Formats: sequence, structure tokens, C-alpha cells
Amino acid sequence: MEPVVNDGAAEQIILRWDATASEDARVRMIFDGDRQEIDRYLQAVDQIQRSMDSTTLSDDGHQSTKVNNAIQIAMARLEDEFRNILITNSTPIETESVAESISSTRLTTRTNSSRSESPENDDCSNRGEDDAVSRDGSSSFPERSATFESCRSMTSIREQDLIPSESIADLRCIAERMFTAGYSRECVQVYGSVRKSVVDGSFKKLGVEKLSIGDIQRLEWDALNTKIGRWIRAAKICVRVLFASEKKLCKQIFEDLGTAADDACFMETVKGPAIQLFNFVEAISISRRSPEKLFKILDLHDSLLDLLPDIDDVFDSKPAESIKTQATEILSRLAEAARGMLSEFEGAVLREPSRVPVPGGTIHPLTRYSDDSTTPDMDFTDHEGQSPLALHLIWIIAILQFNLEGKSKHYKDNSLAHFFIMNNVHYIVQKIKGSSELREMIGDQYLRTLTRIFRQAATNHQRATWVGVLRCLRDEGLHTTKTFSSAGVSKSSLRERFKSFNAIFDEVHRTQSLWLIPDEQLREELRISILETLIPAYRSFLGRFRNHIESGRHPENYIKYSVEDLETAVLDLFEGYAASQHSRRRSQ
Amino acid sequence: MPPTDNQGSFLNRISIRRNQVVYEHEVEDLEQFQKHVADRLTELFHLPTEDATPSDPPETLLSIAWFRKLLDAFLCCEAEFKAVVIMGRDPTTFAKSPLDRLIPEHLDRSVKALDICNAITHGIDLLLHWQKLAQIAVDSLQQRPFGEGNVKRAKKALDTLLSSITIDDKENHHHSGKYTASKDQETIGNLRSLSYSFAKSWSASKQIQAMSSNLAAPRGGEPTGLVVPVYLMSSVLVFVMWAMVAAIPCQERTGLGAHSQIPKQFPWAHPMNGLQEKIAEDWKKKEKKGRSGLLEETQRLEKLGKNLVEFADGFTFPVEEEKAKEVATQVVEMGDICRRMEDGLMPLQMQVRELFLRMVRSRGEALDVLDQVNKITTPVPYNF
Repeated sequence: MEPVVNDGAAEQIILRWDATASEDARVRMIFDGDRQEIDRYLQAVDQIQRSMDSTTLSDDGHQSTKVNNAIQIAMARLEDEFRNILITNSTPIETESVAESISSTRLTTRTNSSRSESPENDDCSNRGEDDAVSRDGSSSFPERSATFESCRSMTSIREQDLIPSESIADLRCIAERMFTAGYSRECVQVYGSVRKSVVDGSFKKLGVEKLSIGDIQRLEWDALNTKIGRWIRAAKICVRVLFASEKKLCKQIFEDLGTAADDACFMETVKGPAIQLFNFVEAISISRRSPEKLFKILDLHDSLLDLLPDIDDVFDSKPAESIKTQATEILSRLAEAARGMLSEFEGAVLREPSRVPVPGGTIHPLTRYSDDSTTPDMDFTDHEGQSPLALHLIWIIAILQFNLEGKSKHYKDNSLAHFFIMNNVHYIVQKIKGSSELREMIGDQYLRTLTRIFRQAATNHQRATWVGVLRCLRDEGLHTTKTFSSAGVSKSSLRERFKSFNAIFDEVHRTQSLWLIPDEQLREELRISILETLIPAYRSFLGRFRNHIESGRHPENYIKYSVEDLETAVLDLFEGYAASQHSRRRSQ
Repeated sequence: MPPTDNQGSFLNRISIRRNQVVYEHEVEDLEQFQKHVADRLTELFHLPTEDATPSDPPETLLSIAWFRKLLDAFLCCEAEFKAVVIMGRDPTTFAKSPLDRLIPEHLDRSVKALDICNAITHGIDLLLHWQKLAQIAVDSLQQRPFGEGNVKRAKKALDTLLSSITIDDKENHHHSGKYTASKDQETIGNLRSLSYSFAKSWSASKQIQAMSSNLAAPRGGEPTGLVVPVYLMSSVLVFVMWAMVAAIPCQERTGLGAHSQIPKQFPWAHPMNGLQEKIAEDWKKKEKKGRSGLLEETQRLEKLGKNLVEFADGFTFPVEEEKAKEVATQVVEMGDICRRMEDGLMPLQMQVRELFLRMVRSRGEALDVLDQVNKITTPVPYNF
């Protein structure tokens, strides 16, 4: 085909492709066809444009109107072609592999990490150490790469190719001409509307929801918890992959075409979706939650903080400033909410007013409430910002302890008071040990202090309970003469002793079976400790004095328990329910 | 109240109102508050006469300029409310009936208002989009002489504009996401639905209804003098939200026209009732024609757009002089509106955002006060 050399030929070509005039032109797309056809059309447009530029100076009204006409038809056509290319060639972003790799990563300690612009950085050697840009303030988490092949951790922005490069070239050709002809607004609008609906589709895939603040207020914590987790995963992909890729695409198509045309297109595409994304976390920062949800809120805060440098990067143009501002505002509000929850929590611990002792000396709800750190994904890796938190937590535990001490005094039974402290402080210790982050924050020294406290309480309890029992098993007071011979044993005193022992032991057995130590290991330990003091003393006592009883009348009234019986009975202790007396046989 | 000669007497400074002791100072403050609101609403209701120096742009009812003034007034009102009613007050006041019910109700309304603000922000983005379309038409039709190319270009833009403006909210819901016959419809559908920020079940009119359903005028003889200011603040809040939803494209607005009357004894009743009536009237008139919203600029864009499309449809070159002059005037007018939209919509959007942030702040502070109340009066409950 000959090159388009004159206006007449150019006009013909353009008119041929006037969709309002011919059915064929409406049905077929130029850019779906062969390359030559495309080139001819573009040449025709250029020709007419040149004509346009030169005839504006002339007074030939008729000619310039014709040219104008042709331009309009060409631009309308190009607009349709533009839209068509965009729609048919847009590939949605890869969310599966990206989502999986990001969500399967356990967020660990922050390190300075390398950032790289190019998406082909797969091999280990090309880790981009040379391009390393460490961030001031918050550094990024190491994460799995977004591409399949790479096994490297990386934190950086990962653009994907959303449109094949041939199509991008075509789009740019069209955009150039539309901008030159003064049809930039139409071009930007078509671009924005198509890309926005693609982004919308990606949002749906990622599970980003359109929830109102009212909706979020009404959600139960479990549901909200899940949504927060999902949001964190989705937000990372949205900012680092989705928005970044869109930005790159805008640059590829619109760079240098007009004043900040690429920025305008980018905003046109992502402003709505970005606001929608942040509205979710904004709603959470506004709503009130009870203090034990603190850790999840901190999680959210940390994730957003981590994203902030990438947000700054992606939304760096002037029109995008409002989005950056919103993100920063939300962040500070989340921090404020977390602070509020922490103080409220502290206040609640201090003020908790109940004077009714917990039955059975078991773990007070307040202790449980204080330590209900339910999420395994807690993230306390910024030591800078969080030693105040650590101190605060320790302070709260101290207050809790103080409160517990106060409560324990409401028990009339001293032994039960110690028992209560033992249970509760032990629980705290277990919880701290169970979370490496908590443990790291609170520190081993304080942990040792707490351990010492509950062990002391256990000892105190044991002593308070068993001193009376053990007193029955002593030698002193049983001998009538100085000579310690068996003949010198006062039978009546001995009988009294046995009777006292039985009575006191029965009482302890009856009462303290109802007491509960929820922690199995602690329960075992305490029982063993009791047996270790009780059994030898009883065995020795029995050994020395049973003959005296058995030689008298009704020995069964006095020797109720064999050593085995005692052992069995002690195993009933601290189970939290009444031991059945009848199920035990008395050994004779 | 026994008058005494002693100036500094404690008794002089207090007044006994029912069973409640309030400080005279406070009563004055509360009355001033009502007066200020009344004044501002009156300004918005009685628009400047032709004799007075017209503001630029003129603050016609429900124009962008009018809304900026309205939001300004609301922000002042809100600040005064906080200062007079909330700040420095003994928290136990809020534990007493009926405030223990009224304050939480007001806070609940403010949550709904926050959602409405977000919806409005999106709506303003749509308005900006319309402005850009109109601008294309204006620029094309400013070229002389009227040429076929330019006219067709303008018509294309105006067709898109008008379809977007007149599309019914409800109808469009069903189209969102689906591909309709023509490419233009699809784009328009996308444009509209993409400007919806919430799930399909959310409805602006339902939010407004919920906000106003439990808003009852206080009967005379309430035990505390704070009931009226709370009622005032709530009424103003509902009114502002209602007006914005009526004017700016918003998700699902069926049944918006209803409003409740403010009892006449309040000084601010007259302007507020007046405004409500006027706006409700307009809403009823325009309701059947599609729900682009009552914003003055939108209405005029629509009217001018229709005229210009008619011109474009019947266009033949050359255009006779009379017609050309007529069209030129309309183009100038449309250009004027575009300029006003371009100048005013971004600031308006920022005001809405400020409203949002202010309400968030106030709500947080009020909740803090309420928390204090709860702590004093009830032990901390634990439900596990």
C-alpha cells in the first residue's frame, strides 16, 4: 500500500473508518487487523493533523472546517480503538501466587532491605544490594517475592505487566495523536474508566470489601478480626503490586505527553479504589473496641506503618497528596486508639472492684482478661517504638498483681488466699512464656520475679494447710516417760492424735478437692509436694505407733487411712469437684 | 429566687430551674447558641436581594457556594455545641435521663453522618467528572464558526454527560458489572457504579430516615436545660446531611423527600422549616425526571446540555446568526458553571472531609466522657 501523501487520501481513509457512517467500520476494529492497515490509518491521522496546523493560519474557512471534521471523526475512532485495546488486552494481576506468598510469610524482625525497580530480579546474586535504599524510620519486613521463580525475600514494590508491550506501544501511538489534536481529556477519561473497572475487579479478587462505618461497628469481633487479617494481606498487594503496576502502565503510555498526564491518568484510575481501601482501616480507627483487642489493632497499625513508605512512593504526585494525608491521619488515629485502649485496660485492672472472692481460689476472670492475647500473629518487632509499651505492660501486670493481692485478702481462709495468688500469678507466667514476643518484651528478670512469687505462694499455701495435719504426726507429747520406750506412750493421747489427724485430713480433703488448679502441671506438682511431706511423716508415725492402737479396741476408729489411701486421697485434691468419700475403701 | 443586695452573693448567680441548679451564665450561653444557629440559618434561607452586592459566585439555594456556606455554618455550630454542652461539664450530667439516651442517640446519628460524608465525597468526584465533560463541550463550541467537527465533539461529550446525569440510581444498580448493549452505556454504567462507595444494600435515604426517626422535639419542662441544645445539634446535623444527599449524587435516594417540622417555639425553627420545605418541594418536582440531585449547577448543566444537544442534532453548516448568538450565550453560561464547579468543588470536598474529621474527633471526646460516666456508675462487667 502506498504511503499516505496528501490530504485527500488521508481524508478518505478516515472517512472510511467513520463508525457513524458505515456498518463495516462499526463492527471491525483497525487495531485488531493487520499492521499495515494500522500504520496507514495513523499516517492518515498525522497527515490531517499537519494539515490542521497549517490551515489555521489561513482564511480558508471551508477547508479548515473539513479538516476539523476529519480530525473529529478520527479522534472519535481512535477513542473507540483505544478503549477496545485496553479492554481486550488487560490481564488482571496475579493475585494467587502473590497473595499466597505474602500471606504465608511469618513477619519477623525488621531489617533494612533492598529495593529494586525492575521486576526481573530473580536470581540471588542480583539481590539489588547496590540499589539498596534503606528507609529512615521504619524499615520494611522481609517478604516472599511476588514472582514464582524467586525464592528470595524482598520487600519492595513489585510491578507486574498488565498489558502486553505491543498493545502498550499501540496505546501510546493513539494517545500521542489524541493529545496532539487537543483531545487529551477524552483520552484520559476512556483510560480512567476502563482501568478503574479492572482495578475494581482485582479488588473483588483480593476480597477488599465496600463496608460502611456503620457496617463495621456492627460486626462481631471474630468476623472483624478475620477481615482485618484479610485487609492487611490485600493492602500489601494493592499498594506494592496493583497500584504500582498501574502507575508504571500510565508512565509507559502517557509519559511526556502533556503536563503530568501520566499522573492525572494514574489518579483517575486509582483514586477511588485507594480511598475505598483506606476507608476500611479508617472505620476501624474510629470505632471503639474493648481493650483486649489491643494487639490486633497494633497489628493493623504496624502493617499500615510498614506500607507508608511504599504509599509515599506510589502516590508521590501533587494530586495524590490527599491519599497520603489520609493514610497518615489514619495511622495516627490507630496509634491513639491503641493508647486509649492501653490506658483503659490499665484503669480497668486497677479499678476492678469486685469484693467477692472467686470460688475455689481459681483464676480470676480479670487475670484471664488481662492476658487474653489471642492472636498468634502478634508483631512486636519495633523495639524503638515499643519499649514504652513493654514498660507499660509490665506496669499493668504489676497493677494486676497488686489488685490480686488485695482480692486474696477477702478470703477468710489464709491458705485459700495463698492458693489464689499461686493460681493467678502462675497463669500470668504461663501466658508470658507462651508468647515469645511477650516474653522478649517483659524480660526474663521480671519473669523470674513472678515465678518466685507463685512458688512462694504455693509454699505458703501448703504450709498453711498442712501444718495442722503434720502436727498430729509429731513425736512430742506422746511419751509419758523420759525414756522413749514404747511402753511409755500415752494411749489416750495417741488416740486423740489419730482422731485429730483423720478429722483434719478429712476436712482438708473435703474442702480442697473442690478447689481448682486449672493448670495440670501445677496441680501435679503441688500434689507431689504435699505427698512428699505427708507420706513419709504418716508412714513413720504409723510404723511407730500402729501397734499401740491395734492392740487396743476398735482400731478402725483411729487408723482410718493406710498410706495408699492417703496417696489416693491426695490425688482428689484441686480437681474442682467433690471427691466421693464412699468410693474409697478403708484398708484395715 | 431571693434577690439580695450583695453583688457577689452566690444566690445571685444561680437560678433554679425545675429541680436542676444551673448557672445563669450557662443559660445565657445556651440561648446564645440557639440564636447563633438561627442567625446562620436565616442567612442561608433569605438570600441576598438584587439590590445588595451580589457575591461571586452568587449563593443561590443549593448551589456550590451555598453549600460551602452551609458547611461552614455547621462547623461553627458544632464547635459551639461542643464548647457549651460537652466541655468542662460534670460527666454525671450525661448519666441522667433523658440525656443518657439522647447523647448516645446523637452519637449514633453522627456515625451515619460519617458514612454520608464519604458517600458525598464520592458524589463530588462524579460532579467533577461531569464538569470535565461539560468543559469539552464548552471548549468545542467556543470555536467560531460552528463547525461540524466541533459540534459533533461537543455532542458526544454532552450525550455522555446527560446520560450519566439522568440515569436512575436504582436502574443503574442492576447494570453495574453487567455489559449492556452499547459501549457508551457500559462506560456510563461503570462510571456511575464505580462512584458508589458502599455495598449494594447501603442506602443514603435509609440512613437519613434512621437518623431522623428517633429525633423528637423535646416537650416542655425537661429536667435539664441541655436537652434543647442536643435536639438542636441533632436537627442541624440531620438537615445538613439531608440537604447534601438531596443535592449531590448519592447511592440510593428513594423516599428522600420526607422531613419533619421543627416546633415553632424555637428561634431557629422558622428558617430551618422554610429551607426544608423549599428543598423538599424541589425534590418532589425533580424526582420523576431522574435523580441527578438538586445541586443548582447540575440542574443548569442538565438544562443547558439538553438545549445544546438539540442544537447539535439539528446542526447544519452554516448556522444562522440569531441561532448562533443564542447558542453562544448558552455556551458562555455553561462555561461559567464549569468554572464555578472547577473552582468550588475541590474546596467543597475538603470541607466535607473536615466535617468528617471534626465529627470523628467530637464523637471520640463524647465517648470518653460517657466512658467516665459508666465507670463511676457501674462496675466493669466481664462477660466471657
